[in-house]
Amino acid sequence: MIVAAAVCPHPPLLFRELSGLEDAAGDLRNACMAAITSMMSADPGVIVVVGGADTSGEWSPDERFDLTRFGTTQARPSQRSDLPLSLGVAGTLLDESGWMGRRELLAVAWQTPTADLAEAASRLAARPERVGLLVMGEGSARRGTTAPGFIDERAPVFDAALGLALQEGDAVVLRNIDSELADQLMALGRAPFQFLGHAAPDGAAATVLYEDDPFGVMYFVAVWSWRLGDRLA
Amino acid sequence: MLKLGRHEFANTDLLVMAIVNRTRDSFYDQGATFDEERALDRVRQVVADGADIIDIGGVKAGPGEDVDAAEEVRRTAGFVALVRAEFPDLVISVDTWRSQVGREVCAAGADLLNDAWGGHDPELAEVAAEYDAGLVCTHTGGLAPRTPPHRQEYDDVVADAIDATLKLAEHAVSLGVDRQRVLIDPAHDFGKNTWQSLELTRRLDEMTAAGWPVLVSLSNKDFVGETLDLPIGERLTGTLAATAISAWHGAQVYRVHEVVETRQVLDMVASIKGTRPPARVVRGLA
Repeated sequence: MIVAAAVCPHPPLLFRELSGLEDAAGDLRNACMAAITSMMSADPGVIVVVGGADTSGEWSPDERFDLTRFGTTQARPSQRSDLPLSLGVAGTLLDESGWMGRRELLAVAWQTPTADLAEAASRLAARPERVGLLVMGEGSARRGTTAPGFIDERAPVFDAALGLALQEGDAVVLRNIDSELADQLMALGRAPFQFLGHAAPDGAAATVLYEDDPFGVMYFVAVWSWRLGDRLA
Repeated sequence: MLKLGRHEFANTDLLVMAIVNRTRDSFYDQGATFDEERALDRVRQVVADGADIIDIGGVKAGPGEDVDAAEEVRRTAGFVALVRAEFPDLVISVDTWRSQVGREVCAAGADLLNDAWGGHDPELAEVAAEYDAGLVCTHTGGLAPRTPPHRQEYDDVVADAIDATLKLAEHAVSLGVDRQRVLIDPAHDFGKNTWQSLELTRRLDEMTAAGWPVLVSLSNKDFVGETLDLPIGERLTGTLAATAISAWHGAQVYRVHEVVETRQVLDMVASIKGTRPPARVVRGLA
């Protein structure tokens, strides 16, 4: 059973080393850690991370993202890791939030059809153990003249609907995100958010901790939780 | 590790030493800060601009107005005390070759003696040892203080500069100066023509490889002026180019007139070298 879910974005800037002397994304990172900490308070037996990637598949929980792919002054490790960014950011956030328990890393391909996501989400939801679900996803990257994808006038409406759904725990809206529009808006959250929509039980208590686009990409940080069953049952 | 005053600096820290002249005739500022209050304003400004060290001088480096030791003390010691009172943590250096002056300024609170005439007065190192002050050991090619170079020849100017400054440094340590408070300075243009100063810059990595922190004093000097055919007042760009090369080669302390520009060049070079993170990186990483 899924006892709590957290939603976080995965910009490289969440790696503290990458922004230089100034911590450019400190408030975003703090919100992510607050969301994960809140999820941890639901006492999950395992945290399952779902993040977008070029191809689907499971990754070893011991894998860490190779920061030198983005530069830095660190020496390139002899054993290079191809762990996708979304899972790498999640792993670091879990480490920094003090999660010492079991974790699983699941990559879902950006183009995964909704039906396949629904099936995978149902399998996860049916697991008997207490699962914390960490969903790595973002809104549009086309929100301004300095945004990675410049401007698309449809982006604000798209993102506002996503934000409202996360705020209200509305799984139905997440399940029905327009995949084609999401692609056009460079919204990397489509597949992970649909996964959440299909995995989430009804009746989520939802909170949005962060909703902003400081660099032209829409970031959401949210927590969903459920008062499900009795642990002792 | 370099110790200056109360501070300890890592080898990768690049430090700006701002020149504050209590002279009437120094080549660059022509007496602009001879007046005590104006000199103090200059100190306040360079500290605000990010200088790590100030270097107070009471005698023009080249030939000029005769300044005896008593007058040099009058120009520097009281001023050191004033600066020390206003800036308790600031590293204060005094540019002097005279041990008598060194003693007075150390008593007034100076942290570093910049012996720009390379051991001309052997007792200066003893004063540094006595006050646990630092010492800059400088290569002059054997010239007496305030003597311009004239037909100065070297088998190898870089080797000569390394050999002479290392001897001075080791001797200072043998007299009791803290090894971590000793710097060496190839002294561009002191006992050197422009070719020789250019070669020192080109091969400065040989000097930094000797293992002592290296101070360079490049600011607006004649080797920049002759290289670019530019008068005093138009040499900042050339100075900064030499600064960048010196930083790349590993020099640690930069004695300068222009603090803000130097700080920017040093930060930029340090980030290229990978010893300083850039200030704020977000482009392409959102």
